[in-house]
Amino acid sequence: MKEKLNKILKLDRRYLFVLLTLSIVIPIIKPIGIPSKSISTSVKDTYNFIENLPEGSTIILSLDYDPSTAPELHPMASAVLKHAFKKNIKVIILTFIAGSGGLIDELVRTIPPQYSKEYGKDYVVLPYMANPLAALTQMASDIHSFYDKDINNKPLKDYEMMKNIKNYKDVAGVIGITGTALLDYWVVYVGDKYGVPILGGVTAISQVGYGPYLQKKQLKGLIGGMKGAAEYEKLISQPWKGTSGIDALNIAHILVIVFIIFSNIVLLILKFL
Amino acid sequence: MDTQVSVILGAFVASGLTLFIFSFLYKDNPFFKIAEHLYMGVGLAWHIQLTIYKVIIPKVWEPLKLAWQNGDTFTVWMTIIPTVLGITLVTQFIPKISWISRYGFTFLMGYAAGLALPAGLATDFSNQILGTIEPFANFFSLSLGRMINAVIILIGTVSVLFYFFFSVEHKGVVKKISNFGIYFLMIYFGASFGNTVMARFSLLYGRFDLLVRYSQKEYFYATNWIIVGLLIYFIAEKIITNKLLKARS
Amino acid sequence: MNIIKKYIPLTIVFIFGIITLASYYVPHRASDEYLEWINKWENIVSAFALFLGMISLFYSHYKKIQRKVDGWGYSLFVYIGFFIIMGAAILSKGNISKEGKLTYLGWSFNNIFNPLSATMFSVLAFFIISTAYRSFKIKSFAAFLLFICGLILMLGNIPLGEIIWDKVFGWTKLTIGEIKDWIISVPSTAGRRGIMIGIAIGAAVTSLKIIFGIERGYMGKE
Repeated sequence: MKEKLNKILKLDRRYLFVLLTLSIVIPIIKPIGIPSKSISTSVKDTYNFIENLPEGSTIILSLDYDPSTAPELHPMASAVLKHAFKKNIKVIILTFIAGSGGLIDELVRTIPPQYSKEYGKDYVVLPYMANPLAALTQMASDIHSFYDKDINNKPLKDYEMMKNIKNYKDVAGVIGITGTALLDYWVVYVGDKYGVPILGGVTAISQVGYGPYLQKKQLKGLIGGMKGAAEYEKLISQPWKGTSGIDALNIAHILVIVFIIFSNIVLLILKFL
Repeated sequence: MDTQVSVILGAFVASGLTLFIFSFLYKDNPFFKIAEHLYMGVGLAWHIQLTIYKVIIPKVWEPLKLAWQNGDTFTVWMTIIPTVLGITLVTQFIPKISWISRYGFTFLMGYAAGLALPAGLATDFSNQILGTIEPFANFFSLSLGRMINAVIILIGTVSVLFYFFFSVEHKGVVKKISNFGIYFLMIYFGASFGNTVMARFSLLYGRFDLLVRYSQKEYFYATNWIIVGLLIYFIAEKIITNKLLKARS
Repeated sequence: MNIIKKYIPLTIVFIFGIITLASYYVPHRASDEYLEWINKWENIVSAFALFLGMISLFYSHYKKIQRKVDGWGYSLFVYIGFFIIMGAAILSKGNISKEGKLTYLGWSFNNIFNPLSATMFSVLAFFIISTAYRSFKIKSFAAFLLFICGLILMLGNIPLGEIIWDKVFGWTKLTIGEIKDWIISVPSTAGRRGIMIGIAIGAAVTSLKIIFGIERGYMGKE
């Protein structure tokens, strides 16, 4: 009996890999379709912030993620952009991450046409900048001194929506969606220093670490991980990859819990044998 | 590059590279090693080309050209000096003159230290302490729930700080408080673990979603062909290895 | 020679450190202008740091190929991958798309860089499942607490978890989402806050040591 249980504990991990693969692939092919019930407070706060902005306000959307974190962050970036366009909020999109170009390109190719939004009038995309600190500190005095051209290499001042935007005083808030510590930079160098409302979208790994900023209201709202993306998609009634993704992950999560409990029960039995 | 051929070729390349890396989970093999080495070169090249086209050309070359043409010596010097400091970093590889790289590194370290110090103190020190004691400013006007939360946060933060305070020996009351701090740390780590599971599985979902999409007819069943190819390789490898072992024995 | 090799670099770190520190607290136009220029400098200098990485990587793989060590053939793929992307970048002049169409660089990003990068990170998910089965041993109350919080967060992150919770603990009138929110915003915040304050103090001390030349490890050998 002891030998059998030890053999079970030392099971070849490749069987576990196969189980994990099946637990994710099968729901992708045939979705389970369980809707998410709860909406967390921090996601609701982010939603309400955009919902309550007056029409015509401008926000900065800092999209700082690359393909390695895209499955979690791309759906929430898409949901936030859709929500902003739906409320006729103007958006300045920028990035400090080298690999985000293709992902931002995908967003601005597909979403603005759905809401009849015009480049230069309703949204602009600023070019990648390697130094976030330089950008964050200089935008406090004059955005145009740091970003003189847009991503198409045309003078930023020529665009209709940028004519009245000089610095942070002219924007309603900043939403930083990132898989790195860049949201901390926004909080430290912009939110705390200039009182600009900062909201965030982060990977699930980082979400827990922002508890102190949320409690102290240094962050006005936070979307965390794929669950957060699914919740935001539910709030704007536009299910996309966040909703389908979290649906596909149901069995995988239960698998982890079952494995932990099972292995500890076997250990307990072995202890008493 | 949006033609049907480039789309199908892209599907084969993307699903191939993805499956080559996943093949490592079965066992180490040449396909994984090829993908791994490709990733090193591709990753580096990606960042280098971004640096050249988004930093060096627009922020060094073009301002320098313009300033030179306009006779703006101040801007010329303000562009040349950091360029020279940057070039000094590369001297690190030449042992005889590697000391020159100190000029570039000391500039970076001085800048980073000077910037990090006040910001870190303001946001991660003062504001966090303020966040902990702020609820006690008008404690009795809070609801019962918020009162309990404020007390838990205060006790938790202080006990965790006790745990990390190594200048005093952890014995007696200090030991009891720091042990209590460990429980708060475990709660934080447990919460992090739970979210890490979702984060990593989300990435995996992204990859499998792509593989499932590329297994469709419109992508010429790219994923399926690559899987079949890999299976043929592993089976053939196993047969050949067994034959060789038998021949040796 | 000591002055050029040691004291001038230490003076540089002191001057830039102090002025940058002061500019955070001095609300004057000069501070803004200083920050504008120093940030541009940092942008340029750190761009060259990437070339350090490139030289290091190329040199180590070149040596492998030269000495024909085991697996030297794979080192060729480092160069192949590098030149594919650099070639695409030169042809596309650094643009991912032009007039709504993908360039060579955009195609390489979508089909080469993206899959490689994302898959490397997603492989960790398999090791999580392996660790959960083989190494997650609950042998103390602290470990049990870690497991319980992890369990609540995992259940709270999936719709199926919400249903399971409602069926088993629905009588408590508390949803798993509310408990998850409370854990993140109260006890986990306390734990995280203690760590943050500790790190902030450590970072402040290290920054001061660097500025005043007490910490010199970054300068390399004396």
